[in-house]
Amino acid sequence: MWKSFYSLFKKDCRMMISGKIFLMSFGFLILYTLYVNLGYIKFMDAGIYNVYLYDPAGTQTTVSPLVQQVPSKEVLDSVLLDDTNGVGIDASDGEPQLIFYEGTEKADRHRADYAFSLLQPSGNYSAGVVGSNTPEQKARKDITCELLFFEIAAVGFLGIAAVLFKEKGMGVIRVHAILPLSKNLFILSKLVIFLLSDLIFAILLTVLNVGLSDTASILPAVLLQTALLSLIMALTGLICALLLKDFRQFTLAYLLIAVFVSTPVFLSANTAVKLDWVRFHPFYHIYMGLKNAYFGTPAASPFYYLGAVGAIAALFAAVQFVFRREIGKEG
Amino acid sequence: MIEVKDLTFSYGKDKQALHGLNFTVEDGEIFGFLGPNGSGKSTTQKILTGILKGHGGSVSLFGQDISAAHTQEFFQKIGVLFELPYLYANLSAIDNLKYFSSFYPKGQLRDIEEVLDELEFKPDFLKKPVSSYSKGMRQRASMARALISNPRLLFLDEPTSGLDPSGAVLFRRIIEAERKKGTTVFLTTHNMLDADLLCDRVAFISNGNIMALDTPKNLKEQNSNHRVVIHYLYQGKREERTVEAPELEAGIPFAHDKIISIHSQEPTLEDMFIKYTGRGLS
Repeated sequence: MWKSFYSLFKKDCRMMISGKIFLMSFGFLILYTLYVNLGYIKFMDAGIYNVYLYDPAGTQTTVSPLVQQVPSKEVLDSVLLDDTNGVGIDASDGEPQLIFYEGTEKADRHRADYAFSLLQPSGNYSAGVVGSNTPEQKARKDITCELLFFEIAAVGFLGIAAVLFKEKGMGVIRVHAILPLSKNLFILSKLVIFLLSDLIFAILLTVLNVGLSDTASILPAVLLQTALLSLIMALTGLICALLLKDFRQFTLAYLLIAVFVSTPVFLSANTAVKLDWVRFHPFYHIYMGLKNAYFGTPAASPFYYLGAVGAIAALFAAVQFVFRREIGKEG
Repeated sequence: MIEVKDLTFSYGKDKQALHGLNFTVEDGEIFGFLGPNGSGKSTTQKILTGILKGHGGSVSLFGQDISAAHTQEFFQKIGVLFELPYLYANLSAIDNLKYFSSFYPKGQLRDIEEVLDELEFKPDFLKKPVSSYSKGMRQRASMARALISNPRLLFLDEPTSGLDPSGAVLFRRIIEAERKKGTTVFLTTHNMLDADLLCDRVAFISNGNIMALDTPKNLKEQNSNHRVVIHYLYQGKREERTVEAPELEAGIPFAHDKIISIHSQEPTLEDMFIKYTGRGLS
């Protein structure tokens, strides 16, 4: 059995190399790393709203050094004319009054809370600190998690389908039907190669963007979640490639699946859009599993793992069924 | 080697492909399975090679019921040439054969280069990718894949398809050589010349039924009108006359100066194909 598996594995590696799938993954790794380090982190590091305080009587005693004092009401009005995102605090009568240009309701509340928190750093407006990540480290983990999820869900899925469509087009899948080997090995070798390539990708992406020291502590959990997502997406890719006639048909299915898998997850996790039903979306739980792994949060409930393993088993059975159907087709 | 009794198969409820086939194939025999497209040839071959499951009736191969026969040991004993040359286009013939032969025990494998040489494979192409091969070269590489494991039972689907006449002669010679080695050959073809020259027995299948099964010679004799056409010269003129074969027992039954040729009116296997399947060859 191992000899057969080795032959299949070696052949699949050659197919991946000739299909430039590894090269594509390497390209994405470089692209993501450049984006994180040269774009995203710098963007996230951009200064937040400036806060200006006019307090001639010195009534505010616990003011943060981030607050800029102004000498007069006229100067306060004048700086806010130039810095339209800034927040002014007029404490000339002892009671702080906020002055700023109206924006959206949520942003305005955020700006108000931020200004008050700088006025009273130990007061009710200050946010509690959760975890030990610095803001930059948090941003790095957030974006690395998102990019890894996207890579496996959208890019890796495309890769496995491309390889199988090639074999389907050459008709060689049917030859495997009459070879002395367990037919499941044909599916397993593809799963293993994609799983290994996704795991290596996850390690490299995490090391390059989260840093070596942090990676060591979160890596086992990240790899476990990566493995679950990788197997689910690889099996989905195999089903699509076996069921659909050609790559053109597949691109439509790919679009639908990629949108189904990624969009609600990203919308819910990264924007203010509230999707109450997102908890019923299976990939939301996988995404959160990955995110929790990056932030060292304890593993999800056993039901999550039972569900994931059940889904993998059901998808594997479906792949077996469509694979047998494919090898029985006319030449 | 192969024993099929009341074999039935249907694709879904209303699509019965085989309606109770009965035939046997002896050890070392070349058995031709002939029929038009959609007649049930491929379905039968897929059942025999273990690709299709869920048939009715009984089928045994190598003396074992088919349900128990489709193990790895079974697949080690068979070789299959598909109608189309299925090969990895990005690999060379050598690499394809190395890959496919890696699933068989080393002891039963033939030397790759020796098999390709026997198939008169152009040496310049041995290490070039299959995508650069002509149809004939692909068919040769595909035949090498079927032969590389020294199979005891060989399923050949249109083996001479895509070959030029000399290639077809070579393939027939190789199939004959396989028979001499004791290999049983199950040949599916539209090429009646191949069937006539190679097969010990042929079965004509149409709409999932075997319409006739016998040696090509017997089938032709049974359907012969027992007439001969004689071309001859008489008083300086070329004449032609058709006579009943028994009339010749007492010699040429008409006046003539010189016999030019005598042609029997025995039908060809193609005539048999049309008669039994109701369809002509394209």
